[in-house]
Amino acid sequence: MKNCLEIKDLCKSYGDFALDHVNLTIPGGTIMGLIGENGAGKTTTIKCILNLIRRDSGTITILGKDNVADERAAKLEVGVVLDECFFHDSLRPKDLKRILGPVYPTWDDNLYADYLKKFKLPEEKLIKEFSRGMKMKLSLAAALAHQPKLLILDEATAGLDPVVRDEILDEFLSFICDEDHAILISSHITSDLEKAADYITYIHEGKIVLSEAKDDILDRYGRVGCSAADLRAIDPSDLLRVRKGSFGCEALVPDRGAFHKKYPKLMVEKIHLEDIMLFVGKGEET
Amino acid sequence: MTGLIWKDALVMRKNIRFYVIFLLAYFGLAVLGVFDASIVISFSTVIIMVLPISCFSFDETAKWDRFCRSLPLESRDIVGARYLFTLLILLVLAACSSMCAVALTLLDLGNASLIENLASILGSMGAGLFIVDVMLPLCYKLGPERARPYLFAVIFIPFIALFLLLRFGHDLGLSLEFLNRLPELNALGVIALLPLAGLACLGLSFLISCRIVDRKEF
Repeated sequence: MKNCLEIKDLCKSYGDFALDHVNLTIPGGTIMGLIGENGAGKTTTIKCILNLIRRDSGTITILGKDNVADERAAKLEVGVVLDECFFHDSLRPKDLKRILGPVYPTWDDNLYADYLKKFKLPEEKLIKEFSRGMKMKLSLAAALAHQPKLLILDEATAGLDPVVRDEILDEFLSFICDEDHAILISSHITSDLEKAADYITYIHEGKIVLSEAKDDILDRYGRVGCSAADLRAIDPSDLLRVRKGSFGCEALVPDRGAFHKKYPKLMVEKIHLEDIMLFVGKGEET
Repeated sequence: MTGLIWKDALVMRKNIRFYVIFLLAYFGLAVLGVFDASIVISFSTVIIMVLPISCFSFDETAKWDRFCRSLPLESRDIVGARYLFTLLILLVLAACSSMCAVALTLLDLGNASLIENLASILGSMGAGLFIVDVMLPLCYKLGPERARPYLFAVIFIPFIALFLLLRFGHDLGLSLEFLNRLPELNALGVIALLPLAGLACLGLSFLISCRIVDRKEF
């Protein structure tokens, strides 16, 4: 399986914040979910991939092409949907054919028209009259109409209702049916990523703290709820993070099965990506 | 690059429509003898300097620049499209103004001769280009809002320079009197140097803008 995106030792410093040796690989036919708190470095990573900002060091390869040395060729293969719709309010969906058609040699007018139809977007309506959901669907239609191999989405589903989000997720799933295609999606809506992503990368304060197959994460990691006395009895090396509250403690365990064998009296629950984010963001190291 | 020129034209279509109606109305009034044709010609300068700067404002509102940089385009394509759009406006306005001037002469209307009107057009184009030469790099560097105050300075510099030339030029040995002594067509040729100089500076302005965009992070 060919890698659609490879990031090696990416560093970018702003003084008070830095991306610190970020490594990321997205194989073809997969969706990578990028999670992390606000300001953790997700958008900075995406900006580096798109060469919107200059990296300090490291390499980024899009479908085998360096994103700086071979920027144009690399970007021809990429479809981008950012956190907002960047098309002017005074434009209409049909105008985008004239604007983006000459930019991409692979732009397909019929495919674009099909997406507009599929997403129920009127060609003649002004973009300013569109709802947020319609605007994001228009951005997605425009990003897909030149038949990209890598789709990059930065908080593209934020603020959308569950129905629209589900519609967009379905589109992502059909996009990656082709083994040459891949998606990088940064999102706070971890439930969406649990539904669609194959891999999860968690960035915390500019560093990658977790990057694994989603199913492995959800199968292996667990949460144990216990009293402070129980917590003291647990070997700290069996825990990753701990959260102490006035009503009890909870801890993140890296291997649910092994933990249950070792501490059969303690209850270990399945965990969601959001819980992991809370443990890393708000918990303490053991 | 063609796509971006289309984008500017499509985004500005409402403004362009307004200016076309405005110019037609004033041309009509000039035919009726209410206004002098020079008003229509001078207004061309305003359009040349306003339209490209408005493009920056619309782009800023839509946050287009970030998206545009994610497209497979080099900074030369992005900046080049804006400059070509500006040149396109200039050419269309020059053609329209010249046709107005010819029409007014054929209809035997207005106080000015065809040569005088053509000289006004060339002067207006030169002034418009000078303003655009300075303002486009400033808009790329500072953004349209922060660049706007400089527009007033840029507009006043040619006027102040012309005023000083007329007021004190004679004492310094610089005078525009020689234009009166030249045959009309030769004088027109001298005035044509203004837009040509503006065009040459547009090339320099383009290179500066490319450098600014190259260094910018989005």
